[in-house]
Amino acid sequence: MKKPDSLSVLVFIRSWGITILLIALWALFASTSPIFGTFENASLILGAASISAIFAASIAMGVFSGALDLSVPGTAAVAGIILGKLIGGGFDPFLSIAIAVAIGALIGYANGLIVQTGLNPLAVTIGMLSVTSGLAAILSDGIPLFDKMDTLGWLGTEIYFGLPSTFYVVIVVFAIGTIFLTKTRGGIRFLAAGGNAEALRRAGVNANTYRLLGFILSGALAALGGVVTCAYTAQATPTAATGVLFDGLTAVALSGISLAGGRGSLPKVLVGALVISTIGSGLLIMNIQPYWTITITGLLLISALAGEHYLGKAVARQAVGKSKVSAHKEAK
Amino acid sequence: MSEQKSVALDLEGIELHYGYVKALDGINFKVNQGEAVALLGDNGAGKSTLLKLMSGVHKQTRGTIRVHGEEVHFHAPKDSANAGIEMVYQDLALVDALDSATNLLLGREILRKGPLGWLGFVDRKKMIAEANAETELLGVKIANLTRPVEMLSGGQRQGVALARAAVRVNGKPNGILLLDEPTAALGYEQKVMVEGLIKRLAAAGIAVVVVTHDLPLAFNATSRMVVLNRGRKVCDVQTTETTYEKIVGYITGALPAQEGI
Repeated sequence: MKKPDSLSVLVFIRSWGITILLIALWALFASTSPIFGTFENASLILGAASISAIFAASIAMGVFSGALDLSVPGTAAVAGIILGKLIGGGFDPFLSIAIAVAIGALIGYANGLIVQTGLNPLAVTIGMLSVTSGLAAILSDGIPLFDKMDTLGWLGTEIYFGLPSTFYVVIVVFAIGTIFLTKTRGGIRFLAAGGNAEALRRAGVNANTYRLLGFILSGALAALGGVVTCAYTAQATPTAATGVLFDGLTAVALSGISLAGGRGSLPKVLVGALVISTIGSGLLIMNIQPYWTITITGLLLISALAGEHYLGKAVARQAVGKSKVSAHKEAK
Repeated sequence: MSEQKSVALDLEGIELHYGYVKALDGINFKVNQGEAVALLGDNGAGKSTLLKLMSGVHKQTRGTIRVHGEEVHFHAPKDSANAGIEMVYQDLALVDALDSATNLLLGREILRKGPLGWLGFVDRKKMIAEANAETELLGVKIANLTRPVEMLSGGQRQGVALARAAVRVNGKPNGILLLDEPTAALGYEQKVMVEGLIKRLAAAGIAVVVVTHDLPLAFNATSRMVVLNRGRKVCDVQTTETTYEKIVGYITGALPAQEGI
């Protein structure tokens, strides 16, 4: 039979295409430069990928539950400034980080509540992006905060067992997130709320709770991203870095996740973030103008969306053919 | 009267106006527990509209709806669901990325035992076994319970949606199941499966209303037929006391309405 074969190829590409792309990129860059393949460089790539990965997780959690949260950079900026104020004021670092993350969750909660009144989530979160960016600048008088920020080196710049500290944050976030999404009742309902909220409602589950949770998790992770950025750069900047939004969004799209919601895999998002920082590092080592990285990231985003669109349709077409075949077989 | 024959749904003098248009005009419609009734009619005859009144999507302009003898006022589909009425919509309401077993058990997932269960961890193996047992009990064949429903054919998806609704009403002595064109997308074998399912559910005491264009389904699976024509009830007969030709006559309007309807 031809159809099931081409189906499994398509499903394979959809499941593993991003990983294959990453390995191909590594092979390409490693063959062109001896520096690229070194452990030190790999560690650098991980470090750069880690912060993007946290923001990607923030955007991904929103997308999974059916909402694209564009306020992520603003939330990160507010959380960073609040962290900077607290640390500068001599607060306990753990407590300061917890407060910053909690404020991110609160911003997400506000987003969710406003969206649930029936407003368009894109417009609401863009509005929240402006509100939070402005707040970050107001709180800091528009100047970056440096005071005692270098005390956060254990979180931002330290190397443990050869790997950057930020990567350990990523491992914890992604491990907990993946277990939640794949193993728990909450995760199932969370994804169902993004995929078909009506189905969840008809099953007697309050779908709004889970959509709200999507915004809260997105906000909390955005704030965590802001905290880690502060620790990494040893300063809290009041300007919202909208670049993280595009990198994160590209990582999510690269992972083959439909932006329409309802499905998703955090490990693939991590691979997506690795692809982006691999390209950045590779081009740098090859002495290519860094602006190309931005252009290529944009091209990647578009081609990832096109690929997902095409693959999704092809899989659906083939799968229908296949399941008809199997239904008949069972009936006989 | 035995419990089997108690009235599940009772619609009396139902009228529905869309502006000046009377979509439904003085309809009386009853379904007993343990009875499968086909609601037939040409496009625009009002059968889907009548079903939407029962499922709470629309509200009648005049007339009363009683569920198990008590008058109800449905303002939204959830009101109808709370009254014990389960509806399978044509759009099926499945979560595409989740597998059949999870779709079937959505809202009543099975948790692990012990501390992991307290944290909300689900027991996948038990869920698949439960889904297997439930579909088997209903005689519904679903090729692969662990495959995402987006990768199933239209007929298989219909099977999952039907099974889910059937499971929810099955075992409830007063269950009421509304089906909107359940065989519209199905092949022959799956149609036979749906027929069997409707008969088994009725035999188990469920009240079933089937809106359909599929006359063979109506003849094979239901015990009573109600035909609407231009918003009026023109025929209400036991399936065994009528013929295919007569029903087609009532549907097309070639036969005048039954007397005393």
